[in-house]
Amino acid sequence: MTNSKPNYKLTDDDFRQINRRSLFGYQLGWNYERMQNSGYLYTILPQLRKIYGDDTPELKQMMKTHMQFFNTSNFFNTIVTGIDLAIEENEGVEGKDAVESIKVGLMGPFAAIGDSIFASLIPAIFGALAASMAHDGSPVGVLIWIAASLLICVFRWKQLRFAYKQGTSLVTDMRDQMNAITDSATVLGVFMVGALVATMINIKFSWVPKIGSVTMNIQNNLDMILPKLLPALVVGFVYWLLGKKKMTSTKAILIVIVLCVICGGLGIISKA
Amino acid sequence: MAWWQILLLTLYAGYEILDELQIYSSLNTPVGAGLIAGLVMGDLKTGLFIGAGMQLMVLGVGTFGGASKIDATTGTVLATAFSTSVRGMSPQTAISSIAVPVAAIMVELDVLARFANTYFSHRIDHLIDQDKINYKAVERNVLYGAIPWALSRAIPVFIALAFGQGLVQTIANALNGQLSWLGTGLTLAGATLPAVGFAILLRNLPVKKHIAYLILGFTLTTLFSVLFTNVQTLGVGVAAINKTFVGGFNGLSMLAMALIGLALAILHYKNLPASKPAAETATSQKVSSVDDGGEITDDEL
Repeated sequence: MTNSKPNYKLTDDDFRQINRRSLFGYQLGWNYERMQNSGYLYTILPQLRKIYGDDTPELKQMMKTHMQFFNTSNFFNTIVTGIDLAIEENEGVEGKDAVESIKVGLMGPFAAIGDSIFASLIPAIFGALAASMAHDGSPVGVLIWIAASLLICVFRWKQLRFAYKQGTSLVTDMRDQMNAITDSATVLGVFMVGALVATMINIKFSWVPKIGSVTMNIQNNLDMILPKLLPALVVGFVYWLLGKKKMTSTKAILIVIVLCVICGGLGIISKA
Repeated sequence: MAWWQILLLTLYAGYEILDELQIYSSLNTPVGAGLIAGLVMGDLKTGLFIGAGMQLMVLGVGTFGGASKIDATTGTVLATAFSTSVRGMSPQTAISSIAVPVAAIMVELDVLARFANTYFSHRIDHLIDQDKINYKAVERNVLYGAIPWALSRAIPVFIALAFGQGLVQTIANALNGQLSWLGTGLTLAGATLPAVGFAILLRNLPVKKHIAYLILGFTLTTLFSVLFTNVQTLGVGVAAINKTFVGGFNGLSMLAMALIGLALAILHYKNLPASKPAAETATSQKVSSVDDGGEITDDEL
């Protein structure tokens, strides 16, 4: 190539290929050293070859660039890819600095948005629904979740072309929209946690102390104050526990098991 | 356990982690694992029950920035397999005595898989340095990453299923025999563990901001569930006395509760005070331009 500016335009086939590779290959190469570096290269390698030509020094330089550290949410990676390719297609290797800074600049925000929505909030909401139905022996909740996952795959499929067209202006526009959606979705999340605490923790006081000739049924008395008070107290306790320094979720789980073995063994609390 | 059950569960364990890395179909989650393992073992109810317990336990555990998380999915597979094939192992006991320890140990193997993939990343570096790049080999070395991932789940599951049954049977006998106090405690733990998931989730969510919705969700559901349970008890009692008394007594529908929550979320979204997106949607409707942000909203819900 004598002209440093490439003259290849991405086609529909290219978009389809990138999306296929993104959905099925993007995270397979995940490693501690540079995380999603090889996956990023893999998703756009055929297009890079078309833009720069095989075995050119430009291609080699860009391949090395894309093998640098990269890590973002796998639900948003093609937004970065789309913006990146829009630049490379127009600027070629001259856009290398812009590509590098955009990749570094965008991976953090999209990782944060993507992880909080797709790796935390959606699994929490659909997981809660699927689990509460599965608890009663119905697989319908899992099927609902699968349907939602398919919709999310459609969303992942569509965002590449969208990002490619919008370029960088997209990032600022979308952040406000995403924040509003996230905030509203957390309302649903918080509501569901409340609902689940009331239904999914089925434990009760089984301790019936005798004071003289009067037996006292603790659970009965508690039910008069507020049914499901014990589950709420347990959640409150673990919530408090997690606020302690050096407390991890795994440690909290082990502590709950030990406490349950003690309380269950002594017959103070039992399964409802 | 028949050999084909061991084979299918091993294959599923290898597939499950790849699903999580790729399309995230939700068959990779504990409740999805419960569904699959339950079907394979021929006891869907037990599988779903264990899957549900583990799903709730890890409800708030997200994978932030590639950190390893407790592997509740693999734990569910083994707990379901043993709970259905070992005599005297109740689902609750299986959750706290098999699923949780397995899930905790599996974190180490997740770390191992992520380490192993560094090797392939370095091989790609070497390939790029060659004068004539072998592009197919570059792509292959990315895809090879699937092997450590899949093996990190499939091998432990295979070993546990193929050789672990005798050991688990011994444990089950002890928990029902001289160690029955421990058995009772572990059963209680199985029923209590979802509390940890809820607490972790509440730590991650802006609870203080949305405390009203938490109280509403809890109180509404408490009242309804007490009401429904009592009506069910009453109905069963009446039906036992009077044979002509016929009526359906279903429990509280959590889908209905979720829809109430969804309605509140929609109201919240619409009432966001003078927020940018609301203003943007309003103006874009007037100008009737394509609202790109709106498209994303639709796909999300």
